[in-house]
Amino acid sequence: MHSPDTPLAGPAAAESPAEIEIDRVTKSFGTHCVLNGVSATVHKGEAVFIIGPSGSGKTTLLRCVNLLEEFEGGEIRIAGRPIGYRRLANGRRKRVTEREVAAMRAEIGMAFQSFNLFPHMTVLRNVCVAPIRIKGVPPREAEALGKELLDRVGLADKLSAYPANLSGGQQQRVAIARALAMQPKAMLFDEVTSALDPELVGEVLAVLRDLVGDGMTMMVVTHEMPFARELADRIIFMADGSIREEGPPEQIFENPRTERLQAFLHRFREGHQL
Amino acid sequence: MFDTLAANAHLLFSGAQMTLFLSVASTVLATAAGVLLALIQLYGGMFGRALAEIFLYVMRGVPLLVMLFSIYYVLPYIGLDIPPLAGGILVVGFYFSAFMAEVFRGAILGVQRGQWDAARALGMHGHPMMLIAIVPQAVRLVGPPYVNTCIMLVKGTSLVSIIGIWELTLAGRQIVERTLSAFEIFGGVAFLYFVICFALSCYGRHLERRLRYAQS
Repeated sequence: MHSPDTPLAGPAAAESPAEIEIDRVTKSFGTHCVLNGVSATVHKGEAVFIIGPSGSGKTTLLRCVNLLEEFEGGEIRIAGRPIGYRRLANGRRKRVTEREVAAMRAEIGMAFQSFNLFPHMTVLRNVCVAPIRIKGVPPREAEALGKELLDRVGLADKLSAYPANLSGGQQQRVAIARALAMQPKAMLFDEVTSALDPELVGEVLAVLRDLVGDGMTMMVVTHEMPFARELADRIIFMADGSIREEGPPEQIFENPRTERLQAFLHRFREGHQL
Repeated sequence: MFDTLAANAHLLFSGAQMTLFLSVASTVLATAAGVLLALIQLYGGMFGRALAEIFLYVMRGVPLLVMLFSIYYVLPYIGLDIPPLAGGILVVGFYFSAFMAEVFRGAILGVQRGQWDAARALGMHGHPMMLIAIVPQAVRLVGPPYVNTCIMLVKGTSLVSIIGIWELTLAGRQIVERTLSAFEIFGGVAFLYFVICFALSCYGRHLERRLRYAQS
C-alpha cells in the first residue's frame, strides 16, 4: 500500500502529458468516507481500468471526474485546469457556476451502467441532440458524424429506432456513440457491461476495444477482469475508498503485492477462469 | 315519463355549457399556476419555496366550499368586490392548482435519475436540459394523474352554484324547485356530469396510449 501523497506512476506515465489528474480527493456521504484521499493520473491516450470490490468507491471516483458527484477535499484537473471549484483568496473554495461545469462536462464523455438513453428520441437523435443543441454543430454535420459513429458501433441500420426497441447491448453501444459524438477529450465508462445479459457483453467490449486501439484517453470501471487485463495500460485497484495498488496488468494479475488485492483476485478466480 | 326532463332539457344543456366554460377557464388557471408552483418548489429560492409551501398547505387544508364562501362574503367585507363568476374561476383554479402542482412536481421527480446524469454528462444544464431531456419525459408521466385532477375539477365546479353562479347544478336545483321532479332532473344533471367526465377519461386513456414510448 502506498500513501496518497506518492502516487505510483505506471509505465505509460512519462510518455505523454497528463489529461486527468486526481489529487488527494476526499468525499463522504454523511459519516461514511467513500473516497479517502485518492490520487491518480491518466495520461493522454492511456486506458486506465479501475477494479475493486463493490462499495470501494470506483464509481464515485469516476463520477467525481465530471462532477456528477461533488467532492469535499482535494482537486481534480483536466488538461491542467482544476474543475468545479475555485480557490478564493482566503483559501476557501467556491463552486464555479453551473455553466462552467457544463462546459467542462461537454469535453468528457461518459457511459453508464444503465445506458440512460433518452427514451423519447430516436437513436440518431439521441446521438445528435447534444452536439446540435449544446455545441452548436450544424444539424447536417452532426447527423453525418452521428451516422458515422453509429456505423462504427455496428448500428447503422437502427438510426430511426427508439431505445425501447433495442437490446441492452445495442442501447449501450448507442450510449457510447452519443458520448463520442461530443468529440470528448476523454471517456469515462462506469460498469458499462454490468447490466447486460452475458451474451450481450461481448458486443459492448468490442466497442471499447476499438476505442483503446484508437488511442482514446479513458477511465474504465469494470468487473470484467480478463478484459481489463487485455486492454488496460494500467490498472488501479481500489478498496474502502482508497487506491490499494496500481500498475500494469501483468503486475496486478500475476504479482499482486497487497493482501487485499490477492484476496480480491482469489475470490474472483473462484468464480471465473482467468 | 321523462316529460319534465324533456321540457327542461334546454336549461340543463345551457347549464352544462356554463359548467364547461367554468371548467376550461379554471383548468387553464390551475395548470398555469400548478406548473409555476411546481417549478418554484423544485428550483425556487428559499423565500419563494416557503411562500409556495404556505400557499399549497392553505389550498390543501381548506375545503373548496369554505373558500367559495370566503370570497363571496369576506372579500366584500374588506372592500374587495369580485364578480361571482371571476371569483368562482379564481377559487376553483387556485384550489386545484395545489393538486396540479403536486402532479407536475411528481412527474419531474419521476424522471429517472440516470436521465439527469446522462443529460449533465453531455454538457447540458439549466433550461435547455429541462426542455431537451426532462420535460418531454415528464409529460408522458403527467398524463393520467393530470386528467384525473381535471375530472375532480369539473366535479368541483358544481360547488360554485352555492355563490349563485348559474351552471349545471344550479340550473338543476332551480328546475327541481319549480317542478318538484327531483329524481328526473337530478338524474339528468348527474348524467351530464358523467358524460363530461367520461369523455375526459377516454381522452386521458387515448393520450396515455399515444404518448407511450414505441415498444416492440
